[in-house]
Amino acid sequence: MARAHRGKLYAALAVAVVAAAGINGAVYPLWKKNFAPKTADYSGLSPDQLLFAFAGFRELIAGILWVRADSYFSEGNYDAILPIVRLVTLLDPHQIDVYATGMWHIGYNFTDEGSRSDRRYIPTALALGMEGAKNNDYTYEMFYEVGWMWFHKIDDFYENSVSWMEKANTYDDMIPARRNILNNCYQRNGEVDKALDYAYGLLDKAEKNMKNDREFSARQNRDTIEGNLDNLLVRMSQRGYFAKGAPDRNLGIYDTDNPFDVGFSARVTVVSPKVIVVQGTWGVQPVGTRIRFILRDANFPNALPAGMKWNQGTQVELTPPKDQTFLQDQLFVRNQSFNRKIDMSRDLTMYPFVDDKYLIEFYYNPRSAAIHIQDKFGWSGEGMADKNFLNQEIRPAQRVIYTTLSLTRDQILRRGEWETKVPDAQTKNYRGIKAPSTGSDLITVPGLRGPSSAVEPGDIPQAGGMAGTGEGGG
Amino acid sequence: MDLAIETRDLTKTYKAKKGKALNVVNQVNLQVEPGEIFGFLGPNGAGKTTTIKILLGIIYQTSGQARVLGKEPTDTDAHRLLSYLPEKPYYYEHMTGLEIMRFYASLFGIKDDAQCRSLLERVNLANDMNRPLSEYSKGMQQRVGLAQSLINDPKLLFLDEPTGGLDPIAHIEIRDLILQFRDEGKTVFISSHELSDVERICDRVAIINKGEVVQQGPLETLLVGGRIEVTANQCPDDLVEKLRGGERIVSAHLGRLIVDIPDSEEPNAIVDAIRAAGGTIVSVIPRRKRLEDLFLELVTQDDAAKGRQKRSMLEKSPPDQASIVEAEAAVEEGA
Amino acid sequence: MNVVLSIAKTTTGEAIRRRVLMVILLIGLVLLVVAPGMEALSARQSTTVLRSLTLGVIQLTSAVIAIVLTVYLIPNEIERRTIYTILSKPVQRWQFLVGKYLGAVAALALMVAMMTATMLIVFSVVGKLTLGSDMVDLAKVPLMFFVQMSLLAAVAVFFSTFVSPIVNFFLSGGVYLLGSVFSSLFEVLSNNKELPAMVQAGARLVHSIVPNFQMFNVQNSAINAGPVIQNEQLYYLGSFGYALVYVMILLIAGILVFDRREV
Repeated sequence: MARAHRGKLYAALAVAVVAAAGINGAVYPLWKKNFAPKTADYSGLSPDQLLFAFAGFRELIAGILWVRADSYFSEGNYDAILPIVRLVTLLDPHQIDVYATGMWHIGYNFTDEGSRSDRRYIPTALALGMEGAKNNDYTYEMFYEVGWMWFHKIDDFYENSVSWMEKANTYDDMIPARRNILNNCYQRNGEVDKALDYAYGLLDKAEKNMKNDREFSARQNRDTIEGNLDNLLVRMSQRGYFAKGAPDRNLGIYDTDNPFDVGFSARVTVVSPKVIVVQGTWGVQPVGTRIRFILRDANFPNALPAGMKWNQGTQVELTPPKDQTFLQDQLFVRNQSFNRKIDMSRDLTMYPFVDDKYLIEFYYNPRSAAIHIQDKFGWSGEGMADKNFLNQEIRPAQRVIYTTLSLTRDQILRRGEWETKVPDAQTKNYRGIKAPSTGSDLITVPGLRGPSSAVEPGDIPQAGGMAGTGEGGG
Repeated sequence: MDLAIETRDLTKTYKAKKGKALNVVNQVNLQVEPGEIFGFLGPNGAGKTTTIKILLGIIYQTSGQARVLGKEPTDTDAHRLLSYLPEKPYYYEHMTGLEIMRFYASLFGIKDDAQCRSLLERVNLANDMNRPLSEYSKGMQQRVGLAQSLINDPKLLFLDEPTGGLDPIAHIEIRDLILQFRDEGKTVFISSHELSDVERICDRVAIINKGEVVQQGPLETLLVGGRIEVTANQCPDDLVEKLRGGERIVSAHLGRLIVDIPDSEEPNAIVDAIRAAGGTIVSVIPRRKRLEDLFLELVTQDDAAKGRQKRSMLEKSPPDQASIVEAEAAVEEGA
Repeated sequence: MNVVLSIAKTTTGEAIRRRVLMVILLIGLVLLVVAPGMEALSARQSTTVLRSLTLGVIQLTSAVIAIVLTVYLIPNEIERRTIYTILSKPVQRWQFLVGKYLGAVAALALMVAMMTATMLIVFSVVGKLTLGSDMVDLAKVPLMFFVQMSLLAAVAVFFSTFVSPIVNFFLSGGVYLLGSVFSSLFEVLSNNKELPAMVQAGARLVHSIVPNFQMFNVQNSAINAGPVIQNEQLYYLGSFGYALVYVMILLIAGILVFDRREV
């Protein structure tokens, strides 16, 4: 080829290189936006998995792995599932089922012998869920799942369940029945007006939808929403919610008036190494009270009053710190007292007791109370009181019951001087509990409709035995 | 009129092992006249194919000049008028003879199907032109090759070992075709290491060995140097001494005398002398030199000469024959 | 141009008869047909898994075909000495190279089309596909694979002008992996502020020089339900343009090398 021709080719080459770089710069972002597989982080994959993953078989490998995880699940080999969940979601970040199931599995299924789940896993479960949401932001599902975990498992800090459910609610593909959950989230977050607006909005939509869709489920959904709305309206009026903002309409008699002193007291004894008995008083007669009980390292990282910083970012840490102790349980109140034995001696990994000092927390939040009890206490505890332990600091704008006790490691392990002496921590007001009686557990809880609707709404607290002074109080 | 092929000090140097430079073709000067059959002869690895590839513009000379049909070897205008039949080519086996012809015709922009067919007929493939090449024998493949090399009615044909690996009958067929080409006025450049066929049809030859042309010229002049053998009986013993002298080789045994003289010398004087001495002439036989003899003679002489002054061949240090063959083989494989 | 097309046509004819390519293609087709049997792998996302597997098979098969096909394009010609019969004709070297490349691309198109057709038929039979737009959407993926493989073939053709087939096989395969599998890795490295500047610059260099093969991978949208694709036409137009320009770069570079090459 002549020199002149070669020169022209070199020039063409240079032009083409510049053009290619230019086009790449323009088109690559388009591709990334539209077609790039969403993947969090490949660092957890071995080279061969990486190769397969990138070679276009990601979804296949992920599918195969998930089948294997299923068999582990049937065998009860829960620990083996975690790495698979992680791997599958890295390989195929669109496996919503794996994200959702994995999140649920991590959050709920690691339990001690007494079926108390290992709360140290919750941040991991949340992180996985949030990653799933980020990687599947075209559908409501993972937003819903994360919201549900805040609502149901953590059952505290409800602003989180609200924000996640609100995000889920922006998607068109959300199942109508699941939209109703947001109503409950608003209520638990104390945003009752929003709950009401939302319920009306849902009803409007459901009615419109019913006109287009003659399916039974459409009618059923509408009826459910209407039922929920009715209940909400009744509760709002009973609890004096409407009266608050409109004094002219205040009838003066509302369920939440005259805050009820629950008369909380508690005592913790260590009956044998790592076995404690928690006793105490709670002057509420109706069944349904569950007091949150936490025993944790005194300097547990990320600890918050009555919980921990559950959202610790999106880093999915499959093995929570094995040297930290965090027990959370519920104390079920019967006959105005609770008496529970908690055996931590059989779960060495969950309760390692490495720290020297331990904090015990008692926590009761009316927002997660049973509805019939909430009817007296109100959404934010306005109808609840306690001479000693009412706390309005740890949860802003809420009245909760909160107190702490302390134990040392030696006490819990019954070592040293505590080998023979029974460690005993109690609130100052603890005076012992009533001897368990038989037959008094059965209480008639009046309903709002049906045969017992003859009872006046205003009578309900009395009927529930709440008007009286708690026996343990004072 | 331009020479069909002309080279001046054509040299091709390859880097051999250890950085040595190897002149596979060394200062080759060739002049091929239009219309002649030119034999380019030499042992394997002598540089024949390398020279042809330079002449076809497939590879490039290191120094010196080459003109083909008066043009640069890389000039496609020259390529329109020449053709090349490589040594033992394999054509696309999935194609039929006719398809192969059409393919090569298309490279010239020729769309004349009749021409393709008639060329196949000419190489006796009329009945096989619709069979795929995978079913062809070696000879048939070689004939397809010849047919494709004629598609542009070339003025100049390069035939690289055209009879290599063929049976004797195919040899004769190919040879007859080459002769026809000459009759048509085509220039034919044949490279070969086999001599018996070429000896009979080449007008001129060049003999190449280790990259250098050791002889070049018309066949007749190269074959000058034949001998005449005069045999006589009943010769007196003293005759032997009388006839000795010059380039004559004389031997005698029991009255039988054999005198071997160069063909430049008149045998009459010898015959007269024998008769005068009373001898009886038995036979006078002229022995013309054969191309094989010349070839062997030259190559042996040349090798011997190179052995003495190897530095002329290599710039740095002497090569062994193997490395030359290797280098040439490498060229052929295109490495 | 006739010369280029003649060479291309012959190359295609030869390529689709090469036994090794036929075997690779056959394996690919068999995998495509048995793929629905993998449905047991996942209950809800069986469509996802099936599509992932099928498209993965097409991608892998066509990549192997593209490389195997092209690394031998020129060496075979030299070995059979047919290249001499062609280059001694009035054929420019660029015509030869471009003809060979186009022939290979046409063969590739045929084979990818066969696999795509097989996929669509299999999907229709097992009821994983509805006629119409879904079919078109799915077929876009192998179409882009074809564009990707055409670029890969150009890479291999470029290398084949100066390296041996075996070296070329690994070289082209390596470039493909760099441009597809590891592209995002290099991108991540080049943006990682914690790494030494040299490493970052090196990663950026690799990321910008190696053809961006991953940009032709659109299977994600066909496998997973996703957001609405924005500027779709612009993307397709742009990526075709990118492939075209990059193929030109490789062919021009190949021509410049091949022009000086002694075969």
